Amino acid sequence: MNISRRTVLMGTAGSAFLVGHAGSADAQTRAETLRYVTGNTINSLDTTTPGATRESFGLSMNVYDRLFSFGRKKLGNNWVFDHKVIRGELASGYTTSADGLKISVHLRPDAVWHDGSPVTAEDIKWSLDRAVTANSLAPPQLSTGSLTSADQFKIIDAHTIEITLPQPDRLALSNLCVPYAIMINSKLAKSHATAADPWAQEWMKTNTAASGAYMVESYRAGESLILRRNEAWKAGVDGKLPDFRRIIIQTVPEAATRANLIEKGDADLSIDLAASDLPTMEKAAKVKVVSVPQTNGFTHITVNTQLAPFNNPKVRQAIAAALPYEDMFKAALFGRGFRLYGAEWSSTPPDSNFPQPIPIKTNLDRAKALMAEAGMASGFSTTFAFSAGQSATAEPVAALLKEALGKIGIQVEIQKKPDAEFNTMEAEKKLPFYIDGATAWLPATDYYFRLYFTRDQRWNFANWKNTDIETISAAARFETDAAKYEAECKKMIEVFADQVPLVMLWQPNHDAVMAGNIDGYTYQFYRQADFRDLKRV
Amino acid sequence: MLAAIARRVGRRLVSSVPALFGVVVITFVLMRVLPGDPAVFFASGPSAGQAEIEALRHKMGLDQPLPVQLLHYLGDIATGDLGRSLTTGQKVTQDIGRKLPASLELTFTALAIALSLSVPLGVLAALRPGSPVDHAVRMLCTLGVCVPTFVSGLLLIYAFYYLLGWAPDPTARIDIFASTPPEITGFYLVDFALARDWEGWSAAARQLLLPAFTMALFVLAPLARMTRASMLAVMGSDFIRAARSLGLPGYRIVVAYALRNALLPVLTITGIVFSTMLGANVLVEKVFSWPGVASYALDALLASDYAPVQAFVLLMAFIFVVVNVAIDVLYGIIDPRVSVE
Repeated sequence: MNISRRTVLMGTAGSAFLVGHAGSADAQTRAETLRYVTGNTINSLDTTTPGATRESFGLSMNVYDRLFSFGRKKLGNNWVFDHKVIRGELASGYTTSADGLKISVHLRPDAVWHDGSPVTAEDIKWSLDRAVTANSLAPPQLSTGSLTSADQFKIIDAHTIEITLPQPDRLALSNLCVPYAIMINSKLAKSHATAADPWAQEWMKTNTAASGAYMVESYRAGESLILRRNEAWKAGVDGKLPDFRRIIIQTVPEAATRANLIEKGDADLSIDLAASDLPTMEKAAKVKVVSVPQTNGFTHITVNTQLAPFNNPKVRQAIAAALPYEDMFKAALFGRGFRLYGAEWSSTPPDSNFPQPIPIKTNLDRAKALMAEAGMASGFSTTFAFSAGQSATAEPVAALLKEALGKIGIQVEIQKKPDAEFNTMEAEKKLPFYIDGATAWLPATDYYFRLYFTRDQRWNFANWKNTDIETISAAARFETDAAKYEAECKKMIEVFADQVPLVMLWQPNHDAVMAGNIDGYTYQFYRQADFRDLKRV
Repeated sequence: MLAAIARRVGRRLVSSVPALFGVVVITFVLMRVLPGDPAVFFASGPSAGQAEIEALRHKMGLDQPLPVQLLHYLGDIATGDLGRSLTTGQKVTQDIGRKLPASLELTFTALAIALSLSVPLGVLAALRPGSPVDHAVRMLCTLGVCVPTFVSGLLLIYAFYYLLGWAPDPTARIDIFASTPPEITGFYLVDFALARDWEGWSAAARQLLLPAFTMALFVLAPLARMTRASMLAVMGSDFIRAARSLGLPGYRIVVAYALRNALLPVLTITGIVFSTMLGANVLVEKVFSWPGVASYALDALLASDYAPVQAFVLLMAFIFVVVNVAIDVLYGIIDPRVSVE
């Protein structure tokens, strides 16, 4: 197809123009095409490849189907994913045995792969086996839902797969919705497998064997990728096809250029513009800004709880009482986010959701008293680190923190570190005091605590070892009694709020900037655009 | 004379081998001394724990002692395998093969623009030293050097794309909705010309103009200043005075006698400018989303992705050698005295 620049510019001049000239073939194509610009790159078409970028996750949701998918709900005026609603994608539904140990997955009888061949139970079994067996990022994720071995998946008949669980795991189904749980055309993939690579991982980095809403038309690693709609797709909500026929995903490294493209109407969507540009863009109202708090994430200030003096809870409580939260929130995020501090409850939290606002407030007198109780009235010195990649938000926080802690006698030296070095030191628990952010795909409270606050592993940011949390989170994981589960979650939040292994700051907003006529944007747990939700109105 | 040139080229190429070897070893060691573990960076998925990091380290061979890793790497280079990039997931040779023409096309165009502007400007300034023309040229050069390329690039985009709408959108080598030329040389202008697709050619040329001009602006100063200084020296020499007194026409004196003699130092500086442009145009590439080697190497460096960075440094060293040899040959053509052994 050959479209001259002029036609394209004319076509993008605005929707009013498009409606008036709907007869023109070129303009029609542009209206049905979504051009998405991003600062990142897609480095693999197989999400489970170690090192796959977040953009690759987003792509995979549009190209591959999973057995199940999360629903979505309204939060204010915006759509966000809803992990408590699970609908069939390549599956038409499921039934669970009374003891919760057997899940029968019923497959869609009419589903076909991109090459037109029917989706069989053998394909699904092979895909599930690959997700728990192949050396990739998938097995550790799926193990959080007690999916660890190929023996757990059994073909019952042509359209039924039975999953056997060792314990009734509340996250088993959720784990089949995550980006890693892709369903693969096994005949196609196997024809490209080798003895050294039985799961065709090498081939699938640059090729797809999928059934999803979009097919990859062309892929230039690090530059652009073009998707074409799969007209045979049946796995959507109510079997509906997505609105856009064509998606262009393009890497544009400079944030200012991305902003220009969107404002000019040459591009339709970007989710990684500079935070400082957003208030002006909102005011100018040339484009639409969808701003949703990242409901499954948190930004935190963390100490290494195994190092003196931070091993003393009193010192951690003193720090939590000394920080100027509201000033930080305004300086770092321009108030664009959801506060996780300043809650009014004491001892028992109002509900079992997590992260939720924690009752910590700025109170210098209390901070000084706590320092005295800890025997640290004269203070101490320490370092505070952040990564260069996060400096836009972390730098103002660090400056305010240094000033505030100076008032209670803690001398802070600020260290800005290159991302790679920061990540390495963080993983090796060599940072005494730092700021970072995290998001969990599956925002169940027990999962959060198990992932971020237990065990000797990378994501235990505070290097926290608390026997209460370890016992309760282990029990809550397989708790089938809803009331008991809620009580256990509340108890963990209570211990967390009291012990302050890390200070919860906020959930920053996820900002998607799009052309004024784009609708339906949904904040997804993997923090990428789901093109299947979008339409031009 | 040709034989002499060939001999010199051969000798230069052979003597550059130890230097290239040194570059390989130093980059290799440097990348590993830098803080930051690539395995941690690449195993940063939501659920990747310590076990995954260790597995990845093993897969990447990072758990072996440094000398062993170096030996493996040298062996790979000898067989033409530069490794695989973790950021793009492709073979480094493949990545660079696709991205180098983009960088070269941009650099050559920028250099052509810079030379076609700076040599006349330098000559003009030298002919009338101290005049308003001289001062205007000096001011232009100072501006070009002072304003960082990302600022001038963003300003040019703002003016010519955002406000005036004359330039195409500054993303990549050709409009995303247009078709790319057949892959022959990788140089879009050449490929479009070979395919006789003139509409595509002019689209690619317009896309190229803004980034090339941004880069040209930055290297205008060294070229123009060098031309001026060298012209001034030549214009004051005896043979020019002799030519003048013989009543030769002015343009003949300036172009045929003065300029040819003044070009030697300009040529030297052009070689240096070219090499720096190729490596240092990362800012221009980033601003204009130009898929070149420099921005590729920077992305890799930020991600502690060893293979592309090492390959990039090796490539730059190699290009530097080739450019120097080329300049040497040109010396011989412009000034036959150089070829005398």
